[in-house]
Amino acid sequence: MKALVPLLGVAALAIPLTFAVHSFADAKDVKELKIAVVPKVAVPFFDDCNTGAAKAATALGVQYQWVVPQNTQGSTQVRIIEDLIAKKVDGIAISVNEPKSVEAVIKKAVASGIKVLTFDSDSPKSDRSMYIGTINSAAGETMGESMAKAIGGNGEVAILTGQLGAVNLNERIDGIKKSLAKYPGVKVVATEGTEDDLAKAVSTTESIFRAHPALKGIFGVSQVGGPAVSKVMATKEFGSKKGAVKVFAFDDLPDTVKGVKEGYIQGIMVQRPVTMGKLSVEHLVDQITGKETAPKNVDTGVNVVTADNLGSYTK
Amino acid sequence: MEAGLNYPNRWTISSLRHAVRALSRARELSVLLALLLVSAGIALATPYFLTTDNLMGVFRAFSTTAIMSIGMVMVIITGGIDLSVGSVMGLSGLVTALAFQAHLPTFVSVACGLGVGVAFGLVNGLLVTAARLPPFIATLGTLSIGRGLMYIITKGVPVTPETPEAFSAIGQGYLGAVPAPVVIMVVFAVGFSVIMSFTTFGRHVYATGGNEHAAWLSGVDTARVKLIVYTLSGAISSVAGIVAFSRYLSAEPASGFGVELDVIAAAAIGGASLAGGVGSVQGTVIGAALTGIIANGVVLMNINTYAQQAITGAVILIAVSIDVWRHARRGH
Repeated sequence: MKALVPLLGVAALAIPLTFAVHSFADAKDVKELKIAVVPKVAVPFFDDCNTGAAKAATALGVQYQWVVPQNTQGSTQVRIIEDLIAKKVDGIAISVNEPKSVEAVIKKAVASGIKVLTFDSDSPKSDRSMYIGTINSAAGETMGESMAKAIGGNGEVAILTGQLGAVNLNERIDGIKKSLAKYPGVKVVATEGTEDDLAKAVSTTESIFRAHPALKGIFGVSQVGGPAVSKVMATKEFGSKKGAVKVFAFDDLPDTVKGVKEGYIQGIMVQRPVTMGKLSVEHLVDQITGKETAPKNVDTGVNVVTADNLGSYTK
Repeated sequence: MEAGLNYPNRWTISSLRHAVRALSRARELSVLLALLLVSAGIALATPYFLTTDNLMGVFRAFSTTAIMSIGMVMVIITGGIDLSVGSVMGLSGLVTALAFQAHLPTFVSVACGLGVGVAFGLVNGLLVTAARLPPFIATLGTLSIGRGLMYIITKGVPVTPETPEAFSAIGQGYLGAVPAPVVIMVVFAVGFSVIMSFTTFGRHVYATGGNEHAAWLSGVDTARVKLIVYTLSGAISSVAGIVAFSRYLSAEPASGFGVELDVIAAAAIGGASLAGGVGSVQGTVIGAALTGIIANGVVLMNINTYAQQAITGAVILIAVSIDVWRHARRGH
């Protein structure tokens, strides 16, 4: 009988405590958290993001889902987000194909309690909590400077991009044009889109070379540029362009790295996709558990990689 | 021509038995069964499938395909095909977007978009009836022209004009718990089912496809029937395009690309024969629902999204095989 009183006392303390613990993480154990990461489309750059994100998810013990859109249309990502909302995920990280079309559905996700952030490609006017990725305009400026120095401040250059509507790619192009404005002898004679499709990029590059025989430089602003230009320059018809036309590309796909080693490409801007993936998952979990309350954009930065430092950079 | 012959005219027991037997013979039953099986499978695998929000979302997701497939099945029943529906859908949305960008009022902008669909539909119809081009070639040509126009006009950059709130209601609004595009799909499905099953025009469509020469000899103006169905297909595709634009508020240059395959698949799954004379609006909508639900299930069940197309293809083959087997068994 006497033992009952302390027992009752412990019980009296324990009950409100369990309620308190429950209300902290919204009654959810970290293991039950569902994080979904949505890239733009199935291209190699995002495999690195997946690697970083999956590793971070495993380390934190959360459930992880990688959902790849079948094409680069805005409507496809809208449908994916709607399905994820129905699935009641806790966090979504997305690299946006078309910024306007996802605004309404991101608003809906945030309103239903899901944390949403963008990585690599932003939808700046949407309700996403933060953007994790490259500060593209600065990367573009660096690219422009490098090219201007490489061609001696004079000559015709062309820009090869992916989707013409992508925010991140257009910011890089703006950066390039801004830095080239300082070199009045350098003229941008062509800006062509390729939907980040290799076959299209190869034929577009060939057309650019044929239309502008005096071309001195070409920018590959999206990840398809490096492989495409290397392949074109390796053919008999355009073999003379190697070294004569300076090439600056983005992202270190295996074909692009090979292009640097073999002298087709003078420099690449390497982003940090693995870091983007890792930070996306980490920030989402922090926001869900309440650890991060005032999220700010994160610049994951770029490495400028040439033949000299090929072996020694981190992503 | 199974639709017209079995309708009971008196509510007698024998008529009801007639109706039940007709129902079980209906081609649509196989597809409906496939749909219910797939849905049951997904519902068992995940608790999020059978929620109002998710189901309404899925219906809205396949509503554009379903709407366009209604026009497509009518064309297929006449023995033709319309490959241009994807381009017409995209171009209509784009023209509507451009009209908004030019600050034209909603009514005028929507009318411009619809005009595109009617125009392309008429051109297709005239190419098939007056110029006597095979439908495949004629609509392949208009597909390419439409797609090319979209790239020329947009120069590859999506068009995102300011639009009034009321316009977004078409694609993003709700009637109660039902999303507006689903309401539009249901209205079109019911309306055209009635037209195809109960009106002279509907019977003429089946007749034209079943045996064009016999129909013509019997007094059916087959050329006019074909002209009307191609125009309808174009107009219906433009409705889908306007609804899609209203949902995303962004007219992308690749919008509608490849959609014609999904639409034709929906019609084929629903029992339409590409040879003509057979098919129904009801079956087509069920076919569209099947592919839409598979896409939803893939994300809900965390299946590798790369597998989605393969799974859809496999389910289509199974559903149509069951249907063919059932009819071969009956000696049809």
